[in-house]
Amino acid sequence: MKQPEYQRRPDAEPKVTGSLKYLTDRFEDHMLIGKVMRSKHPHARIKNIDTSAAEAIPGVYAVLTHKDVPGLNRFGIVMPDQPVFCEDRVRYTGDAVAAAAAESAEAAEKALAAVVVEYEPLPVLDSVEKALSPGAEQLHEMGNILHEAFYTRGDLQQGFADCTCIVEETYQLPRQMHGYMETEGGVVVPGQDGGISVYMATQHGFKDRFQLSRILDTPEEKIRIISSPIGGSFGGKDELNLQPYGALLALKTGRPVQVHNTRKESVRAGLKRHPMAITMRTGADESGRVLAHETTIYADTGAYATLGPAILEFAVEHASGLYPIPNIKTTGVSVFTNNGVAGEFRGFGGNQVTFALEGQMDRLAEKLGMEGGQLRFINMRKPSDAGPLGQEIAPTDGGKMVLDDVAAWQQLPLSNTGEPPWLKNGRGGAVSMHGGGLGYGRLDPSGGRLALTKEGKLEAAFGFEECGQGIVAVIETVMKEAFSCNDEDIEITIGDTSKVPVSGSTTASRGTGMIWTAVENMKALFSRQLLTEASRVTGTAAADLYLGAGGIHKSGTESSLFLSYKALAEYVQAGDIETHTSFDFPVTPDEIDSGHYLYSFGGVSAEVEVNLLTGAVRVLDLKQSVSAGPVVYPQGYRGQIEGGGIMALGYTLMEDAVMEEGRYQTENFDTYLMPGVKDLPDNVTVKPREEVMEGDTYGPRGVGEIGTIAVAPAIAEAIYQAIGARPKKLPVSREWILHQIQQRGLLPWNKPEKMLGG
Amino acid sequence: MEQTRKDARGIEHRQGVNVCTFYLNGMQASVNASPLARVVDMLRDQLHETGTKISCGIGRCGACSIWVNGQLTSSCLLLAYQVEGKEVTTIEGIGTEERCSIVQEAFINEGGFQCGYCTPGMIMATEALLKQTPDPSDEEIRDGLSGNICRCTGYSGIIRAVKAAAARLA
Repeated sequence: MKQPEYQRRPDAEPKVTGSLKYLTDRFEDHMLIGKVMRSKHPHARIKNIDTSAAEAIPGVYAVLTHKDVPGLNRFGIVMPDQPVFCEDRVRYTGDAVAAAAAESAEAAEKALAAVVVEYEPLPVLDSVEKALSPGAEQLHEMGNILHEAFYTRGDLQQGFADCTCIVEETYQLPRQMHGYMETEGGVVVPGQDGGISVYMATQHGFKDRFQLSRILDTPEEKIRIISSPIGGSFGGKDELNLQPYGALLALKTGRPVQVHNTRKESVRAGLKRHPMAITMRTGADESGRVLAHETTIYADTGAYATLGPAILEFAVEHASGLYPIPNIKTTGVSVFTNNGVAGEFRGFGGNQVTFALEGQMDRLAEKLGMEGGQLRFINMRKPSDAGPLGQEIAPTDGGKMVLDDVAAWQQLPLSNTGEPPWLKNGRGGAVSMHGGGLGYGRLDPSGGRLALTKEGKLEAAFGFEECGQGIVAVIETVMKEAFSCNDEDIEITIGDTSKVPVSGSTTASRGTGMIWTAVENMKALFSRQLLTEASRVTGTAAADLYLGAGGIHKSGTESSLFLSYKALAEYVQAGDIETHTSFDFPVTPDEIDSGHYLYSFGGVSAEVEVNLLTGAVRVLDLKQSVSAGPVVYPQGYRGQIEGGGIMALGYTLMEDAVMEEGRYQTENFDTYLMPGVKDLPDNVTVKPREEVMEGDTYGPRGVGEIGTIAVAPAIAEAIYQAIGARPKKLPVSREWILHQIQQRGLLPWNKPEKMLGG
Repeated sequence: MEQTRKDARGIEHRQGVNVCTFYLNGMQASVNASPLARVVDMLRDQLHETGTKISCGIGRCGACSIWVNGQLTSSCLLLAYQVEGKEVTTIEGIGTEERCSIVQEAFINEGGFQCGYCTPGMIMATEALLKQTPDPSDEEIRDGLSGNICRCTGYSGIIRAVKAAAARLA
């Protein structure tokens, strides 16, 4: 697609001048401040809760506990198992026990400090091993296993028997934090009719409305969710967070209530990426054909379900990635613990298994005496091959395309010159395949609405959220292309359940594709509506009219405006020119639960510099090749891959929300380290591979996640190329690097025999 | 009874009430606030100048960056008494939607923001850097922005923006 070099996002000026009001910036008259009290213990019984002293504190308007929840005292997207307020048991330190609304934050905090909770501590199950050990306390009625997922095909035993080369490894993946700069929060405003308006970020307004309706025992029609703009989400704000507390406090006090997590509160209660331990055994014959692949995944899902089951299924699906291996057995277990709740996070379980899978490919290649790229070419899927679960998918050659790029990049010379001798460079590459949409068997509806407003704007309405990714720029770009209009002709309506149609969630890399599809579906009818009305108004045959900048233009005349949209709007009633579409995300025809149909592909090449004296790893060069269909908005596409790449660099080298005995040891950005500008590689390249197969009508695939998937294995391989040791645990620590350097005697004055205790 | 007095700079002080008086983007501002109130809270909660953001609250992320007498600083680590009588510049004092600064234009054109929540602080840091170092080296750009975290862009677009702004200002 041709694009002007610079195309401004519709939200550009408000964002760079600070004039944009985020939902946590809102201020209402008579607004109270709400605060939530979280559990003191990772695991305990609650024997008693006494709020009387708290209620007596001046300036305090309400103190709430589980007794004050009118409806279901639970939430959770897949199954509602997380208490809004705990009744008799707490399962992690983010569990809410009480909440208060007061004239000031200080008064609300004072009130919560005066709530007396009697706890009886229980044994803390702070690891998967403890939670699964015989006799362990059962965290839920269903036990300590949230979900198990399996996939098998072929004959694994025979497959391994036919292999001449087998590698086995266990990979450890950390608890990554989303680290969105705007913490959770906003304002809830009670209405006259017992309803509420909830001004808080989410990735799916209608789903929040549904969950809140259940909690508040209030019809959905009485709940309005205003959920954009969002100061970053990355999956982390898809589940409910502070909405129930703001809503309950507002309804109780009859006043607007602002709730806004401090960073520490956000870390304590918020979701993280699932820590996983993944064991893979992978075998190939002497020609390098991978014949057998066995995977076992243990995921620490924390205290409650949220999207844990779906993430596990995604990980199981992607365990064999882009390689159609004939004999596969994959087992996934998602385990409840007393750790922080793990849930949705950009990549959705794909990051973890791809690190393991690509690690296996490099280990196998080495053992076979071939290049990693060569082994991948031998095993790469063909365009018409089935998906990883054997399901029919949209034909694609994306895997091969990105691998071509990675293989070419691997040939580039290293950027160091051998001086100084304590800096060692290495380059590595990896590829990935990532399903878009929610998968087979899940409700995944989408849709949109186009209308001519009474002010003469072409309104594009979608139930999507703007969390930074640039969905507003995507809408604008697609509209301009469909109707040859100007920016000023377009009015974008998103992020408000009282105004938008059902479009499904702003997750799973689905927004861009769904907007493109919706406008494709509507553009002929909407154009015809506009032209027919313009013809009626002007008496000119519709065939002589066409749509252009500012409104209706007439053929055969100088290209100037014939009838502006504003003028046209004066002749028509609201709703006269309006069209809708609703459809489902494309899904595989095969009845295979959670199987995807549209996939994107990412190839990564990374060059690192390892400092043998300090163990520090610096990424010098990060190149990504992406196959996700045509690019809609180039600046946004590039930004998603660049930003996703650096987020994944953090995942690989520095990020881990460490927990000990069920308590976060990293409570803020001083100890939880995310990449800063100094961690940015000298060179970052994004190469879109836009080609799709002939006859492919699915348009753009969305790139919100793909830039985060294959970065870790590429960096890990680069580290191996530099120092000869293969990382299997993320983040790769300096201590581990130094230990490997010592063991290998890479420093002339520090030979292994000189080491004490080796 | 409330009494007022004027200090040497002509700023009015009301006795018996904690009033913090300073110049905000060139205009005098008086706020009833404890001397120990955080400046970021005073700006956001009392003056409703919400362009200055709050994220980590411990001076690590730079989302709350402002200038005090022209010096870049984190307003979450600054208390009301520390800005008494001083010139405070926030993002609202840099440009408007109709008239963006050269730096703000560059952030727009180069993809220097996504969610936009770190952006005001990032722009305060960039403006401060380019005032002091009009033609910064790559290293100086990284030094100048090292107090600001962005989770969305991965910094590439920000670096492009800083370079583009520097080139235009040269």
